[in-house]
Amino acid sequence: MGDIIFLILFFYTRKEDLHMKLRNEFLIHQNESETLLVPAGSAEFSGIIKGNATFGEILSLLKDDVTESKIIETLCKEYDAPEEIISRDVKKILDSLRQVKALEE
Amino acid sequence: MTGTYTIAGVTVNVSTIYDGFHIFAGDYVSGGEPDFFAATSHDDIEFERSQPGGDLCDDSYLEALAVFRKISERMPDYDSFLFHCSALSVDGFGYVFAAPSGTGKSTHAALWRKLLGERLVMVNDDKPMIRAGIDSAEVYGSPFNGKHNLGNNIHAPLRAVCILRRGESNHIEEITHEKAYPFLLRQTYRPYDKSSLAKTLALLDRLKNSVRFYELHCNMNPDAAKVSWEAMSQ
Repeated sequence: MGDIIFLILFFYTRKEDLHMKLRNEFLIHQNESETLLVPAGSAEFSGIIKGNATFGEILSLLKDDVTESKIIETLCKEYDAPEEIISRDVKKILDSLRQVKALEE
Repeated sequence: MTGTYTIAGVTVNVSTIYDGFHIFAGDYVSGGEPDFFAATSHDDIEFERSQPGGDLCDDSYLEALAVFRKISERMPDYDSFLFHCSALSVDGFGYVFAAPSGTGKSTHAALWRKLLGERLVMVNDDKPMIRAGIDSAEVYGSPFNGKHNLGNNIHAPLRAVCILRRGESNHIEEITHEKAYPFLLRQTYRPYDKSSLAKTLALLDRLKNSVRFYELHCNMNPDAAKVSWEAMSQ
């Protein structure tokens, strides 16, 4: 019998391509110059997160199912900044949102 | 037990297992047609027991909290919300001091009482209701008025909200609604229901049309009251 070669293929989804959206119990509130993310009383997190207009844009994208790659791509089209900086900032914000369990993934 | 009460102009018929809420709300009894109904169950009591400090309270008190929570959930439907503060009426106008528990808002309210004497009537020293109209706001007494039971079943047009912080000297400045907003939100009852929460945020927005906002750094000297009164009463 010849050697049996098992070729095992692993399929991974890159983290950047995982779909996510804002959990239903989180509300976005826009003030004149800042955006607030406010959880309803039912959420585990009871604080408030505030950020600037970019934070607001990311939250707007997260109202619907979206991937991290798509968020980065959208912001790169809008802002004149290097992709690696945008990518770094998006990851930071998404990590903060994960910490307060604001994302459904 | 059942009773009907009017709080911040809203009439609610309350059905409970124990009498705690009905004792708290004695000053708010009314005979009007209810706007809505609030009834409690043992599950509601257990929910309140699961909250921080809940295991130290008896069932009757926990049930009273449950009733107040049910009322607070519905109040945004009537343009009102529960706001954690000390609320005073001076010459018929409402002024509130907001701060996290233990900062000194009740102490500061007491300094105002000493300074202003009979011109001042306590609205509520803990959890009044605020009704926010398009271009005016009103602060109302409620059954939950703090451990010293300071409050009355009255209301007054809300003139100013002051965020209080401890300081070594006394200094007050007027701030924008936007700057005050995150703090206001932290002192506001946040409904479990998302659409009630959205209404609450919109009501807080409305306050910018008729209310002035201040930030006061103060110590516990009587001068602190003069500083805040002179600024807020302009």
